[in-house]
Amino acid sequence: MDQNQNIPTPASPDGRGDHQGKDVRRGRNDIIFISALLLILAIIGLGFFLFRKEGSSVTVEVGGQVYGEYSLSRDTVVDIATGDGELNRLVIRDGKAFVETATCPDGICVGHRPISRMGESIVCLPHQIVITVTDGVDEGPDIVV
Amino acid sequence: MKIKCLTILFVLCILSSCAPLSPNEKTLDKFSAYSFDYFDTVTTVSGYAESQEAFDEIANSVLADLGEYHRLFTIYHRFEGMENLCTINELANGVHRTVTVDRRIIDMLMYAKDMYEKTNGRVNIAMGSVLSIWHDYREMGMSDPASAELPPMDQLTAAAEHTDINCLVIDEESSTVTLTDPAMKLDVGAIAKGYAVEMVAQRLEEQGVTGFVLNVGGNVRTVGAKGNGEKWVVGIENPTDNEEKPYLAYLGLAGEALVTSGSYQRYYLVDGKRYHHIIDPDTLMPTEGFTSVSILTGSSADGDALSTALFCMSFEDGLALIESMPSTEAMWVFHDGREVTSSGFDTYRTK
Ligand SMILES: [Zn+2]
Repeated sequence: MDQNQNIPTPASPDGRGDHQGKDVRRGRNDIIFISALLLILAIIGLGFFLFRKEGSSVTVEVGGQVYGEYSLSRDTVVDIATGDGELNRLVIRDGKAFVETATCPDGICVGHRPISRMGESIVCLPHQIVITVTDGVDEGPDIVV
Repeated sequence: MKIKCLTILFVLCILSSCAPLSPNEKTLDKFSAYSFDYFDTVTTVSGYAESQEAFDEIANSVLADLGEYHRLFTIYHRFEGMENLCTINELANGVHRTVTVDRRIIDMLMYAKDMYEKTNGRVNIAMGSVLSIWHDYREMGMSDPASAELPPMDQLTAAAEHTDINCLVIDEESSTVTLTDPAMKLDVGAIAKGYAVEMVAQRLEEQGVTGFVLNVGGNVRTVGAKGNGEKWVVGIENPTDNEEKPYLAYLGLAGEALVTSGSYQRYYLVDGKRYHHIIDPDTLMPTEGFTSVSILTGSSADGDALSTALFCMSFEDGLALIESMPSTEAMWVFHDGREVTSSGFDTYRTK
């Protein structure tokens, strides 16, 4: 019985040919489909990768005006000059931003811990500076008190 | 074929999860605006809106309102043609005038008297004469750190003779205020910010605004939930740099207020020691018990007043006060890093 079932049933050469053609076409379609799928996934993956790599940055605002935007992925030192010789030195190191030195009277900005998460900020009240993590990778809280 | 269909579905799911919202919902973006102009601190207005213009319209109205409250409640500036806290404090021929003021000042002062009762005198806006001495020494110490000093105690105790809240006489009917002790002054620093924020937030709520949050120097008041209906996540800053624990708590709010007072927020140094701005009415010195106190409650006015009150109380008295108030929670942080919370605080935690 089993053997009988395994014997291919004779068919007309035309029918066989058709069947074979379908198989080939379906195989080719599958390859195209899977390639397209892989390509889409690769693009999405690349997008996420690029976003991760370049996404995190800090925006410096002085008196409500944007002073500059700096990537957290590049170590750098920015001297924020707010006039009258006043200076806040912003340092970006190891993906974090902090104020290293400042001429403000209270020094609270210098005492603030380094920031790296989305939405975190350092404020220098006397110099009206707000340094905020924008487009961050690590989601911080919506508001910080 | 089935597998192929499932794969397509799977990919579509991934793609749709990348899209910010499903197409039949309005796309709301988050916007923020800052100001340094009010209450000697930084103001942040954030909110979800369809466009920058839609956000600006609400944010500008909020900032305009806060500006009005700032001008009415400031004790440091007078404005042409306007009676405010500063002009109430002024002397004319050696006595305080009876000043006719805006209704908003009357309401705030009556609220302050009410909080004096509720906090057993820990929140006393009649402490102006004492606080102004501290203010002057702090300003001097900050502008010239080398010669920073503490106010002489005899000067503080002399000023403390003139801090009787009953010498603040309010006539609601005629909308007038009189300070009957010529040596007394008002200082509403402990409540004005939170009160103003609360008034503006209530106005927004009356107008049906939702998805906004106001933060004036640590006085946070949420107006509804976020644009996507989720709760706002408020992080209470860990004052010490700790990679493992950047926030002491994450709290989910939708309409409530959270106010944090910290001894690390405003201070000056004398001989290397920090002296912060919250003054104990008994010792006349900066309070020593806590690094920070946070209050979670419905009104940011209550939050502001209570955070100051708890700073000036023992932990036990503060806990008893908080537990006696409905829908009001608190977190105390001690100098050794220890945190203690009131009974219902944990129900607001998001992680
Ligand atoms: Zn600073």
